[in-house]
Amino acid sequence: MSDPYGPLRLHLLPFLRLASLCLLGSVALFPIYWMVVIALTPTGFSRTLTGILPQGVTLENFRALFTERPMLRWLGNSVLVAALSSALALLFGTSCGYVLSRLRFRGARLLMVAVLITQMMPATSIIVPLYILFRDLGLLDSIEGMVVGHVSLVVPLAIWMSKGFFDRIPADLDGAARIDGCTRLGAWWYVALPLALPGLAAIFIYGFVTSWHDFLFAHALVHSPQLWTAANAIASFRGEYFTLHEMQMAAALVFALPVVVMFVLMQRWIVSGALTGGVR
Amino acid sequence: MLLPALVVLGLVIGLPMLRAVEMSFDTVNLRRPHLAGKLGLHNYDRLLSDPRAWSAVALSALYMAGTVAGSVALALAAALLTRRIVRGRALARLVFLLPWTFPAVVTALVWGVMYEGNFGVINRLLDHVPFIEGANWLVDRRTALGALILAQIWNEFPVAYVFILAGLHAIPEELYEAARIDRAGPFQQFRFITLPQLRYILAVVVILLMIMGFKSFPIIFILTGGGPAGATETLTVLTFTTAFRRLDFSYAATLGILAVAISVLLVLGYLRLVARLDAGRDGP
Repeated sequence: MSDPYGPLRLHLLPFLRLASLCLLGSVALFPIYWMVVIALTPTGFSRTLTGILPQGVTLENFRALFTERPMLRWLGNSVLVAALSSALALLFGTSCGYVLSRLRFRGARLLMVAVLITQMMPATSIIVPLYILFRDLGLLDSIEGMVVGHVSLVVPLAIWMSKGFFDRIPADLDGAARIDGCTRLGAWWYVALPLALPGLAAIFIYGFVTSWHDFLFAHALVHSPQLWTAANAIASFRGEYFTLHEMQMAAALVFALPVVVMFVLMQRWIVSGALTGGVR
Repeated sequence: MLLPALVVLGLVIGLPMLRAVEMSFDTVNLRRPHLAGKLGLHNYDRLLSDPRAWSAVALSALYMAGTVAGSVALALAAALLTRRIVRGRALARLVFLLPWTFPAVVTALVWGVMYEGNFGVINRLLDHVPFIEGANWLVDRRTALGALILAQIWNEFPVAYVFILAGLHAIPEELYEAARIDRAGPFQQFRFITLPQLRYILAVVVILLMIMGFKSFPIIFILTGGGPAGATETLTVLTFTTAFRRLDFSYAATLGILAVAISVLLVLGYLRLVARLDAGRDGP
């Protein structure tokens, strides 16, 4: 008896590890696999599936999605809202983040905590007063209104992330620019912003994805189907095609795919960004 | 330069929040517009004696507890299994990160399809398992909340996985070498090295997941809408339906303020933990 764990360590443990890894991995991937299988099954036939293998493969559901439904228009609305709101949130967020990173003033820390709370609180808390405000301003049921709504959704994270990025750029650099005659605004625009560019790209992408994925604001602020964003549109499919799973899954797949593909391509970069950002 | 930034911030967040406070003292009910202008504490009175509101808080707590426990357990297992992989490392990580990239709306739809009572794949697979009966998971009030929690765990456990994996890589390998010299088995190594070293990062993960669970809305709203008979009506769902179904915006604003108050507590806890984590890094 030299090593009580000897045989266990040599044979059983590596095998158990591999087996549990495969099991856990399949559980994580199964919903994605199933979404693909159902989306490719001919309409109405998913209820006859007995095993977990596809029976019959067709792209008919996707064709119907784009011809019988205005899916392209909904995706277009999503792109428009996401691009505008993340660009605006980037502009406001980075200027706020820069000020909070460079200026020492009373209440700066309290302001940061308040911003963090708005990021961490449920969005249902803000949608209720926002709806009433938008009703009074005539912003309901419009793309502009949804853009403003999404700016309020993205801006807190943009402030926190950009403050983090600016904190890592030495203040001496823009201090030197100011001695050379730059205004504070000039130092931000010409010195700090270009240096923080990779970080800004990250903020823009986070903002875009947040807006693209948002369901609550899209559902509450817009009613006309031609103004729906894709998130709201595909959610409506559950009510409309309650038993037509094939159409639901095809729509869900089309909606999820752009972000999934982007993530796979930029995995390493996103994961390190998420960790250093620290908030999400 | 501070001024324009603050003005924008005030407009998109400050103004709505102030309006919410104002509404909570008023009566903004789109079904009873004539009641507007009556100021007072009546919404808060109602909140204190409203069993539905407190049941929603309890359900939110249950939902948070379930999603946190499940996500941390799953993420810990996945992180321990993938930490020392050499070949196929990027692929193994991608597998456990992928669910994160799916939006909550899509998560809701796919789990809704899988949970379907008559021909959903979960019941079809359970047909082959002895002693476990299928169920109408989202319609049965005994299983609905658990079913939603499971869907949320699938969607959010990668967040915990990223943090825990980073935490595992920060543990010095010498500790394990010393333990092996002392003849510590794998379980002792986990109990006396891995867990204590992960303590702070686990605490941060728990509170982040609590916040995510508390905020959760689309999965619950799309799959059950708070039903059956209020069995899954968390605070976020109750706030939304109070405003947009019953059109009682003032009471919804009051419920929203309750949610903000709970979030403040969670965020303060989070900040304390992060501060301790930073202090721990500098110290011994």
